[in-house]
Amino acid sequence: MGAAESHIWLEPILAGLVGYVLADLGSGVYHWGIDNYGSAETPVFGPQIEAFQGHHKWPWTITRRQFANNLHALARTVTFFVLPIDLACHDSVLLGFVGVCSGCIMFSQQFHAWAHGTKSKLPPIVVALQDAGILVSRPQHAAHHRQPYNNNYCIVSGVWNEFLDTQNVFGALEMILLFKLGVRPRSWDEPNSDWTEETETSSQVALP
Amino acid sequence: MASVSLPKLTLHFLLPTHSPKTPFCLNNSILHKLPESQFRGLKLSRSSSTSIPSSSSVKTSIFAKVTQGTVPPAFTLKDQDGKNVSLSKFKGKPVVVYFYPADETPGCTKQACAFRDSYEKFKKAGAEVVGISGDDSSSHKAFAKKYKLPFTLLSDESNKVRKDWGVPSDLFGTLPGRQTYVLDKNGKVQLIYNNQFQPEKHIDETLKLLQSL
Repeated sequence: MGAAESHIWLEPILAGLVGYVLADLGSGVYHWGIDNYGSAETPVFGPQIEAFQGHHKWPWTITRRQFANNLHALARTVTFFVLPIDLACHDSVLLGFVGVCSGCIMFSQQFHAWAHGTKSKLPPIVVALQDAGILVSRPQHAAHHRQPYNNNYCIVSGVWNEFLDTQNVFGALEMILLFKLGVRPRSWDEPNSDWTEETETSSQVALP
Repeated sequence: MASVSLPKLTLHFLLPTHSPKTPFCLNNSILHKLPESQFRGLKLSRSSSTSIPSSSSVKTSIFAKVTQGTVPPAFTLKDQDGKNVSLSKFKGKPVVVYFYPADETPGCTKQACAFRDSYEKFKKAGAEVVGISGDDSSSHKAFAKKYKLPFTLLSDESNKVRKDWGVPSDLFGTLPGRQTYVLDKNGKVQLIYNNQFQPEKHIDETLKLLQSL
């Protein structure tokens, strides 16, 4: 491939990388919002909020979900937003960005599920990607499931987690929301039994 | 002005080992310096001489009335028991007046508990500690009870005292600032320390000064 031709691929690839990085940030912000605000009764987001709280109570159940189950809900949302863009736009850089960003978002629940897996049961390629920091790692995500449940919110690659946590970005956002809207995040108060992880292995759980 | 401060913000992003330094020199010979807000690792500096402040901070930066070496305006506010407390009550001994955003929030709880845990050291230096926020007396009472705070908390419900003293806001005016003043026994300000996101530092800095007074 000549220098002039390889240039055609470079920009969309770079745009894709930006999409991958921003998808991680987006996953963190969304996850923080759903974990901390609203309830099962909130319009539109209610079922998701309930599902996230259920996940905190029974985190291991996510590893028993099938691949399609981890994808379908996000795939619906991604299709809704991305299909029109795909039809209307022909710019390869934009499509590179949108494709990778939305792809990572679509797969984020599966990445999340893998982060709950045990090393011996995961495909070796997944373990390798986790260890390389390309996918969110198991120890990093485990920290999110421990007191005070207010860190490591990103679940695509986790590349933003250290920055967001050391700079206390979510803490600042929480304070702003308190003063502007009067709402307190769940992570500020002692978790109640609805939130705390259930450790009895004999509990009967219906998978969502 | 956003266009003036953005480059500074970007620069600090690239310095991962940057540790926020104390914005105030504790040397009493420095007449005054406008307070700087510190967001961990990021420094949003405000100086009336070099930059045009954004509209949200005009009231506080340019017209900050309380500076090092001055006597701050008097006030009378209700404490956690609903009793009126005046600043003049503390004349004759050093007093640490700390303004904080709100009761029962993570940073403010850390700060209050840190003052509580070092309270004996403050007493040993002959100083009193007073916390001020916009919460009402009942909120202060519950907060003080929950964390067993031994000092006075005052309700500045309309934020009038905060404005009179010129406590700057953070994050483009969305967050009440976290600023601490140390007044000597004559009621003169000897230290102003501002740090929104590292609340425990307020205790270290004020104790350091008190031990030198």
